[in-house]
Amino acid sequence: MKSFLEIFLGILTAMGGFVEIGELVFSVNAGVKFRYSLLWVEVLGTIGIIVFSEMSGRISAVTQQPVFSYIRTRAGYGAGLMTLLAANSVSLLTCTAEIGGLALLLKLAFGGNYFLLAALVLIGLLAAVWFLSFQAIERIFGLLGLFLLIFVIAALNLGPSWGEAASGLIPSLPKVETTSDYWLYGYFVVALMSSIMLPYEVYFYASGAIEDGWNATMINANRMIILVGFPLGSLLSVALMFVGASYFQPQMIEPQLPGTAALAAAAVFGKWGLIYAIAGMFFAFGGAAIENALTGAYNLSQFLGWNWGKYRTPKDAPRFHVTWMLMFVVAALIVMTGVDPVEVVEYSIIFAVVILPLTYLPILLAAADEDYMGTFKNGWLAKTLGWLYFAIICIAALAAIPLLIITHGGKG
Amino acid sequence: MSEHHLDLVRQLLDRQVVDKNHVYCGKVDDIVIDLKGGPKVKAILIGNGAASDRLPEFARWLSRTLFGRGITKIPWSDVLVVSDVIKLASDAKEHGLDERRGWAYDIVSKLPGAWKK
Repeated sequence: MKSFLEIFLGILTAMGGFVEIGELVFSVNAGVKFRYSLLWVEVLGTIGIIVFSEMSGRISAVTQQPVFSYIRTRAGYGAGLMTLLAANSVSLLTCTAEIGGLALLLKLAFGGNYFLLAALVLIGLLAAVWFLSFQAIERIFGLLGLFLLIFVIAALNLGPSWGEAASGLIPSLPKVETTSDYWLYGYFVVALMSSIMLPYEVYFYASGAIEDGWNATMINANRMIILVGFPLGSLLSVALMFVGASYFQPQMIEPQLPGTAALAAAAVFGKWGLIYAIAGMFFAFGGAAIENALTGAYNLSQFLGWNWGKYRTPKDAPRFHVTWMLMFVVAALIVMTGVDPVEVVEYSIIFAVVILPLTYLPILLAAADEDYMGTFKNGWLAKTLGWLYFAIICIAALAAIPLLIITHGGKG
Repeated sequence: MSEHHLDLVRQLLDRQVVDKNHVYCGKVDDIVIDLKGGPKVKAILIGNGAASDRLPEFARWLSRTLFGRGITKIPWSDVLVVSDVIKLASDAKEHGLDERRGWAYDIVSKLPGAWKK
């Protein structure tokens, strides 16, 4: 068992790293459009990410074998290649969305040219990953992401209607005017769940555990960090929904840009509220951009058998290091084509849900495999929840594209 | 085909290969089997050219466009241990499989701090 301080820091890091641009867009807008009635999806998604992160952390701790290595030995080269291309495309898209979001935040805070700011973000991210150790990256971005707690305080200050929130914990059809609103509700269910259960999160978590040198003694610490850190992190996401429902909805504002959410914090706490909110978003998006770029490099290196990891020097793992740099560069170039970052967020979230079954099935099979995991294989709880969630994400994956088309990308 | 041979394929194919210093050398992308006098593993092949050979046409083209078509043959006598990873008795450099060459190395080695973790 690791020391108390390490577990405590791990919990805070997991909490601060929970939210990224997808939740910022979808949680706030879910609150605006459907008030508290999608709260159950936050709970559903959070339990889902807990179930699969626990498995992926446990697999890494017990076997020291990375996920894409397992995928390749079990599924073979062909199926593995398809999974790799799908996973890395979504990671690239998510990284693009985060970089676009970062440039928008800087523009909101300091003004200036969006394209120049995107270039500045690119340089900053490259320098951060190059010069900082893996542990420093994890801690800095995770802990400073906790500035987002301002949204929890703002949500409480704005006086949420608790009764309505409580009834939102139970799945029910909302009171809406037209059939198209039902489709929109369905779209938000899928998108919100996807934003919480993004595939890169478990890939990154699994590889991160190897970067941190975990072994089987870390299994309980892993469980504690996830079981406490993720629900706390999801409170940030829930707070964003509350802010959408109690601040933006009454004013008929539908925040399009992710930075707009900061206005709610500003309304409650003035200038400092705004600064805290922007700082929180900055580190949340920055952390997620880094995690996606590294995930792309982890996946590719593990699939092809290259030397990988921040724990190796760039000279010892040059292909791995060049791959994450390329992820950043290509993502920034996509941003600089002038594509709307919010649209990139929507597409990345929807395509992510389409490949979710592809992501979670190998993890579920590996964690249940006795040859592989020995006595640490899935117990009845992990097995039951694992397959239940696998069924849920399969349904979400099938529904995602039709819902995207019917609702015209969530515009109703 | 004996069961022993099938077992070897399951335990060999697509596994991680490491050299004697535990430097990663790639995956077992294919296996060369000598059928004379009973099936026997003669060599392992490392490189995307070998792995992509097992794919249907379009996927093969895609894989080779992305990751190249190189093939390196390692004689079976050079394989030291077969477990979760396949360990070689030799150094990655002897087979040209070390990563301290090529364009990726040229890029990172020019940057400041490339020896730092």
